[in-house]
Amino acid sequence: PGQPFAASGREDISQYVTINPSIAIFAAQPMLKQYAVVAISQAIHDIITPVVERSVTIACITTRELLLKDFAMETDEAKVRRAAHLMVQHLAGSLALVTCKSGVSMCNQLRTYLQRQQAGDQQAIEQAVQVTAADNLEFGCWLIEKSAIERAMRDIDTALDNAINLRRKQGPAAFESPIFGARPQPAFMKQLPESLMPKASGLGPSQLRVYDDFARDPRQAPTGPAGNAPATATPMGSEGKGAVEAKPAIDPAAGAAAVSVAQSLQQ
Amino acid sequence: RRRKMPEDTDKDKLFQLVLELSNPDTREAALLELSKKREAFPDLAPILWHSFGTIATLLQEIVCIYPLLSPPTLTAHASNRVCNALALLQCVASHPETRTLFLKAHIPLFLYPFLNTISKTRPFEYLRLTSLGVIGALVKMDDSDVINFLLTTEIIPLCLRIMETGSELSKTVATFIVQKILLDEMGLGYICATAERFFAVSNVLSNMVLALTKEPSVRLLKHIIRCYLRLSDNARARDALRHCLPEQLRNPSFTVCLKDDNTTRRWLQQLLHNVQEELIGQGGVQMTPGPSA
Repeated sequence: PGQPFAASGREDISQYVTINPSIAIFAAQPMLKQYAVVAISQAIHDIITPVVERSVTIACITTRELLLKDFAMETDEAKVRRAAHLMVQHLAGSLALVTCKSGVSMCNQLRTYLQRQQAGDQQAIEQAVQVTAADNLEFGCWLIEKSAIERAMRDIDTALDNAINLRRKQGPAAFESPIFGARPQPAFMKQLPESLMPKASGLGPSQLRVYDDFARDPRQAPTGPAGNAPATATPMGSEGKGAVEAKPAIDPAAGAAAVSVAQSLQQ
Repeated sequence: RRRKMPEDTDKDKLFQLVLELSNPDTREAALLELSKKREAFPDLAPILWHSFGTIATLLQEIVCIYPLLSPPTLTAHASNRVCNALALLQCVASHPETRTLFLKAHIPLFLYPFLNTISKTRPFEYLRLTSLGVIGALVKMDDSDVINFLLTTEIIPLCLRIMETGSELSKTVATFIVQKILLDEMGLGYICATAERFFAVSNVLSNMVLALTKEPSVRLLKHIIRCYLRLSDNARARDALRHCLPEQLRNPSFTVCLKDDNTTRRWLQQLLHNVQEELIGQGGVQMTPGPSA
């Protein structure tokens, strides 16, 4: 709500595009700058639609499936929505960002345009293209990520509405029963200990924490080895055992998992 | 109450480790421990899937690596940690009770950004290899839902690039995946549907054959030959292969290499037979579409 950009508003994008006036070509021919703005805006615009579409679709499907599973016994609708929102934002934003960072080419249109205008020699054009693309990459990625997050929030609500409405329609009596109770419980669930089960009595903070953690900034990389040192004890362990005897977390044979995973296919 | 049996203790230990996954402080050690022991727990996949929040946790482990992909800054430590998480997802992908659920939740798609990386450093090489291992576990089960999912999500270009540029083991797993896709009717039809797709695959296979003459690998060659043999089941592809099957497969380049592998030698003979037969019959080479196309 109240966002300055709509994913479709090309004009809105253009005012945030940066063109460095000291780039040789633009310094010599300042009127080319406005065309560069158009080319970059157009490139971002062209990327947004497919990247957002794909990221949001995947994020919503994954979120819906995992939510329906993990919150099968939860009766508090607010908890379900909150977890869904945190998860879908994180997944859609991360997917959109990783997609546009790896594959985005904001250069092509600008290069074509400058070549057609015979704005300068090959080297000068390439310099202008590379610098301009780099100057606007951050903004482009930010906008795409933001668009994906906004769309995902709307779409996940729609995706969950059916399940939640169905539950509401069943009347006040059904209020005692789980929101997604219609799903058959796999027989396997009976084997799970209490601590690992979706609870009928409502999920507690220690369980919800997994979903709360989706609220972390997706740009934030995990901390290094020092920050991730295993804790000395786990409060949840019924037998009070330490975190696997504070074993060094780095496997001395790096890549052991990778190789064993690949080799298990040969069997 | 019955007495506690040894398997109960094992199970308690397993449940404890799964519980430790949900706590960020104990997660990394639990990932390592579970990944090492995954073969020993036949029920691990359904436990991972059905326990509260475990899959969401593993997904977090995957997504939080994305910022390290471009520009490439993945460390050996971070790579190792996410590979342990991927190893657990491989269990989920290969278990008959969880495979469909895993696919339905579209989780394999979160691995595609890993397959899309190009950095040649070891952390990235391991990341791609393990991700391929998860997809490999899916296709190993010969499930046409899996093939359909992979085709519609465009896994083939990702596999082809790894087949061209990956390590020997990555190439082998990527080729295995393409082989499994080809062995499916729908997969063969998809790859042979356009000349562009067919040549994209056959060019990569042919480049790999050429590279193998310098650095032989029996297991990789086996998958390549099986891919070619399967392509030759399609009439149009068979026609095209008459021109583009690499010479090294027709001459004795790999005789020594395949000396101890009867199955692959038989596949190769069959392939050469398929490709030659109609050439003689037609008395010439033509690029005509086959009757079934």
